Amino acid sequence: MEITLPPVDLGAITPELIVTGTALVILLVDLFLPRDRKTPLAYLSLLGLVLAFAASLPLWGRARYAFKESISLDPFSLFFSSLFLLIAALTILISTNYLEREEIHRGEYYALLLFATLGMMLLAKGMDLVVLFLGLETLSISLYTLAGFMRARLRSNESALKYLLLGAFASGFLLYGIAFLYGATGTTNLKKVAVFLGKGAPLSDPFLFIGAGLLIVGFGFKVATVPFHMWAPDVYEGAPTSVTAFMIAGTKAAAFSAFLRIFLYSLAPLKPNWSAVLWVLAVLTMTLGNVVAIAQQNIKRMLAYSSIAHAGYILVAVVAGGELGGSSILFYLLAYALMNLGAFAVVILLGQKGEENLNLPDYAGVGYRHPLPALAMAIFMFSLAGIPPTAGFMGKFYVFSAAVKAGYIGLAIIGVLNSVVSVFFYLRVTVMMYMREPRAEVGPIYTSPALAAALVIAVWGTLQLGLFPGRLLELALRSIRPLLG
Amino acid sequence: MNVLNFPILSLVTYLPILGAIVILFLSKERHEAIRWVAMVFSTASFVVSLWLPFYFDSTTAEMQFVEKLPWIQYLGVSYFMGIDGISLWLVLLTTMLCAISVLCSWEAITERVKEYHVFLLILETGMLGVFMALDFFLFYIFWEVVLVPMYFLIGVWGHPARKLYAAIKFFLFTLFGSVIMLLGILAIYFYHGGQTGVYTFDVLELMKTAYPYSSALLSFQNLVWLAFFLSFAIKVPMFPFHTWLPDAHTEAPTAGSVILAGILLKMGTYGFVRFNLPMFPESSKHFVTFMVTLSIIAIIYGAMVCLVQRDMKRLIAFSSVSHMGFVMLGMFALNAQGVQGSILQMVNHGLSTGALFLIVGLIYDRRHTRMIAEIGSGLSKQMPVYATLFAIVMLSSIGLPGLNGFIGEFLILVGAFKVNYIWASFAVTGIILGAAYMLWLFQRTMFGPLEKPENMKLLDLNAREIATLVPIVIMFFWIGLYPSPFLKRMEVSVNHVLEQVEKGQAGKVNPGTKAASVGATERHLPSIIQPTSGTSEGAPGVRER
Amino acid sequence: MVPLSAYLILSAFLFATGVVGVATRRNVLIIFMSIELMLNAVNLAFVAFSRFLHSMDGQIIVLFVMTVAAAEVAVGLAIIIALFRNKETVDVAEINLMKW
Repeated sequence: MEITLPPVDLGAITPELIVTGTALVILLVDLFLPRDRKTPLAYLSLLGLVLAFAASLPLWGRARYAFKESISLDPFSLFFSSLFLLIAALTILISTNYLEREEIHRGEYYALLLFATLGMMLLAKGMDLVVLFLGLETLSISLYTLAGFMRARLRSNESALKYLLLGAFASGFLLYGIAFLYGATGTTNLKKVAVFLGKGAPLSDPFLFIGAGLLIVGFGFKVATVPFHMWAPDVYEGAPTSVTAFMIAGTKAAAFSAFLRIFLYSLAPLKPNWSAVLWVLAVLTMTLGNVVAIAQQNIKRMLAYSSIAHAGYILVAVVAGGELGGSSILFYLLAYALMNLGAFAVVILLGQKGEENLNLPDYAGVGYRHPLPALAMAIFMFSLAGIPPTAGFMGKFYVFSAAVKAGYIGLAIIGVLNSVVSVFFYLRVTVMMYMREPRAEVGPIYTSPALAAALVIAVWGTLQLGLFPGRLLELALRSIRPLLG
Repeated sequence: MNVLNFPILSLVTYLPILGAIVILFLSKERHEAIRWVAMVFSTASFVVSLWLPFYFDSTTAEMQFVEKLPWIQYLGVSYFMGIDGISLWLVLLTTMLCAISVLCSWEAITERVKEYHVFLLILETGMLGVFMALDFFLFYIFWEVVLVPMYFLIGVWGHPARKLYAAIKFFLFTLFGSVIMLLGILAIYFYHGGQTGVYTFDVLELMKTAYPYSSALLSFQNLVWLAFFLSFAIKVPMFPFHTWLPDAHTEAPTAGSVILAGILLKMGTYGFVRFNLPMFPESSKHFVTFMVTLSIIAIIYGAMVCLVQRDMKRLIAFSSVSHMGFVMLGMFALNAQGVQGSILQMVNHGLSTGALFLIVGLIYDRRHTRMIAEIGSGLSKQMPVYATLFAIVMLSSIGLPGLNGFIGEFLILVGAFKVNYIWASFAVTGIILGAAYMLWLFQRTMFGPLEKPENMKLLDLNAREIATLVPIVIMFFWIGLYPSPFLKRMEVSVNHVLEQVEKGQAGKVNPGTKAASVGATERHLPSIIQPTSGTSEGAPGVRER
Repeated sequence: MVPLSAYLILSAFLFATGVVGVATRRNVLIIFMSIELMLNAVNLAFVAFSRFLHSMDGQIIVLFVMTVAAAEVAVGLAIIIALFRNKETVDVAEINLMKW
C-alpha cells in the first residue's frame, strides 16, 4: 500500500481560496479597527465574495476533476457555489445593521460566515465522501459558533448548544453511513462508487443498505426532515436573526447539494429502495412542518417550521428524480433562498433591540406604518405560499410537475394540499400587517442602504424568477445533467 | 388571427394595472386624484374593449384578436391571448362592471383609498386575463392573481365583524380547488407530450388530443375532468361547495360584492364551457346527471334559503347560488339553446346581481345596516328614483319578459326541456321561488308605511349613484328586447364546442386510447392512477425537434 | 484471525451505546462524551474495513475524523462555558427556554 499525493491544482479551487483568504484577512484587519467601527469588514467580505464569484466564472463550461477526482468542477457544483456566494452576500447585507443594533458587531462574525460559506462550497464540489465530510464540518462548526454569537443571551447559548449536540450527533450517523458505504464498495470516491454500482455489482449487499440508511438519517438531521427535525425550530428561534436567515437558506441548500450528489448520482441504482423511504419522509416533513407552523406566534419559529415544510417539497422532487425533478430542486433552492432571506430582512428591519418585536401580533398595522417593507414582506409570504407570479410558485409548479411526470400523483396531491394549508399561516402575516389596527407605539425602525439593497435584490429576484424563469430553468437543467450521466 | 394587427387584448388587460402603477406614485392623501386615475384607466379599458364586438367576426369559431409570444420555451409556455364568442361578452362585462365598481366606491371608501384602488385595478387585470388566456400556464397565473387582491378587498375594507374569517375562507376554498386543477393541467400536459412529443400548455393544442376514457369512474379523462370540476365548481359555486360565497359576498365592500358576483363567479362557469366540455367530451357526458342534479339542488336550495334570510346582502348572495345553478343546468343540457342561454345568463347574472349589490350598497351607505327588519318599510315614498331602479333590477333578476333575465332563462329552460322535462320542471320551480323572494324583499322594504324615523330624512340617489346603475339598466333592456347581436356572436363558438362534445374522441386529431405508440400509453396509464417508481426519461427540455 | 464481523459488531455496540447515551443522559458533558463514543465506533469500523479491503483510505479518514472531532470538542466546550456563565447548569433539562 503506497500513498501517492494527488497533483495540486489550485486553479480548481480559486473561489474557495479567495473566500478563505478574505476570512483570514478579516481576522487580521479586525485587530486594527476600533470596537465600534467594524462596518469596513462587511465591505471587505462582500468584496471577497464578489471576487470569488468572478473567479468561478471561467470554470464554467469545461467540466473536470481535480485533486485525484475528489473535487468536481461541473455545472452542478458551480451552480451551487454561485448560490452560496449569493446567500452569503445577502446575509452580510442584512447583518451589519442588525449586529450594531444588538451590539454584537465583531469581526469574527464575518470571518465565521465566510468559513461557513467555504464549507458549503466544498460540500457542493466534493466528489469524495471525505471532502464532503470536511466541508460539512467546516460549515457546521462555524455555524455552532455563529448560533451562539450573542454570548450574553441565554437563548442564543441554548440555540448553539442544541445545534452543536444534534449536529455532532448527526455527523456521527453520517460518518457511520460513509463507513458502511466504504465497506460495501471499497472506496469513498463518489465517481468510483457510481461506477462500481453501475457495473452490475450485487445491489443486495446489506452494508450498502445500512450505509444508505444511515446517510439518509444523517442528512435528514442536517436538512431537518421529519422525524429528524426537532432541533430546527429551537435553533432557528434562538440564533441571531441574521444567522437564522443564513442557516435556513444556506445550510439547507448545501446539505441538499451533497445529498443529491450522493443519492442521484452515486446511489442511483438503488433508487427504488431509497425513494420509497424518501416518499414517506417527504409526506411527513411537508405535513408536520405546515401543520405545526400554524400554531406558531414567533415569526422566526414560524419561518423555521415553514423551512421544514419546504424541505419536504424538495424531497418530493428528489423522489420524482430525473432531469425535471433534479433541475426543479436547483430552481427551488434558489427561489427558496431569495424569499427566505428577503423575509428575514424584513424581520430584522422591524425587530427591536434585544430580539424584540418578533411575535405575530407585533406586526399589526405594519402595512400602513411602514408600507414598503410590508409590501416586500407580503410578496415574500405569497411567494412562500406559492401564489403566482412569484418565484415560490414557479418552484412548486416545477416540483409538482416533476412528481406528476414521474407518476407520483399521490405525492403531488399531498404536496399541493399541503401548500394550501401553508397559505393559512403565511396569510396570517399579511392579515396582521394589513387588516389589524396598529398596537401601541413601538420604537422607530432603523434602515440602512445595505439592508435596503438586500430587500430590493430579494424582491426583484422573487418576481423575476416568477415571471421570466426560462433562462434559470435552462441553467438548472444544464447543471443537473452531469449528475444524471 | 388578429384582424386589428394590434395587441388590443393586452391593451384592455393591462390598462388597469397601468393605472394601478400610476396610483402607486400618487400621494396617499390625494383621494380625489386617485379615484380619478382609477376611473380614467378602468373606463379606458372599457372603451377600448368596446371595439371588440365591432371587429368580431361572428362567422368563425376560431380565436380572434390573437396574440402569441414565446414565454418559457423550455416548458412550452407561451403568452397566448385570444377570445371567441364565449369569452367576448364576459370580457365586456368585466370592463364595464369594473368601471362601475370604481364609481360606486367613490364615497363609500374613505380609508386607505390608495391601496383600495390599486387592488381593484389589479383585480380587473387578473379577471380579464382569465377570460382571454389560451395558455394553461398563463390562465393559471391570472386565475390565482385574482385571489390576492380580492382577499385584500374583503379583508381590509370588508364589514369589520367577520371580514377576516370571510377573506381567509374565500382564499382557502378557491386555492384548494385551483391547486387540484393545476395537477389536472399537468396531467394532460404530460399526457399530450407523451403522445405527440410536443410539450405545450397551449389550450388549443391540448384540445386536439383525445384523453383516454372508459366508463369506469377513475379513468384518466374522468379524473382530470374531476380535478377541473373541483376548481370550477368551487368558483361557481355549485351546491356542496358554496359555503364560502355567502360569507365573502356579505362581508365584502359593495364593489367587492359586485365584482365577486358579477365576474368572479363567471370564471367558474367559463372554465367549464371553455375547458371541461371541449377537452373532455366523454367525461362531460358521463357526468351530465351528476352535474344536473347538483345544479337543480343549487337552484331550489338557494332559493329556499333566500326566503328565510333576514340580511339583505346575504339574501342576494344566496340568490346567486340559485342563479348559477341555472347557468350550469343550461350548460349541461349540452345543446345549442342550453349553452347559449347559459352563456347569456352568465352576462345577465353579472349585470343583475351586480346591480342588486349596488342597490344594497346604496342603502347600506345611508343606513349602515343590511338587516331587512332594521331598514324598515316604505322607502319608495322617500326615495322614488331608488325604488324605480330597484324595481327594474329586481324584475330583471326574476326574469320578466322584456328584460335580459328572461331571454337567458328561457333559452336554458328550452335547452333543458329538450333533454328531460323533469329537469325543466324543477328549474321552473326555482324561477317561481325566485320571484317570491325577490318580490317579498321589495315589498318589505319599498312598500308599506314609512315608519322608521331614520328613514324620514333619507336622500334619494345623487347623479353619481344614478350613473352607476343606468348603464346596467340600459343593458337590461337591450339584451331583453334585442338579444340577437349578443346571441349571433356566440352562436358559432357555442356550436363549435358542442360539435367537439358530440364527436368526442373521433373528432380529435391525436387519438388517445389506442394510440400508435402503445408503449408510451401503457407506461403512462397505470402510473397516473397509482404511484409507481417513476420513469422519467424525456423531460420536456430534451425533446427532439 | 479475527473476522470482520467481530469488529463491526463491536463498532455497532459502541455506536449504539453512544446513541443511547445521547438520548438518555441529562448532563451536557456526558452527552458530549457519548457523541465522541459514536465517532470512535465509526473510526473502528473504518479501520476494520480498511484492513479487510486492503486500502489505506479508511485509515486516513480516521485521522480526519479525529481532527474534526477535536475541533468540535473545542467549540463545544466553549459553548458550554458560555452557557454556564449565563446559567449555572449543565443539565439539558434545565436548558429549556424554548421547548424542544
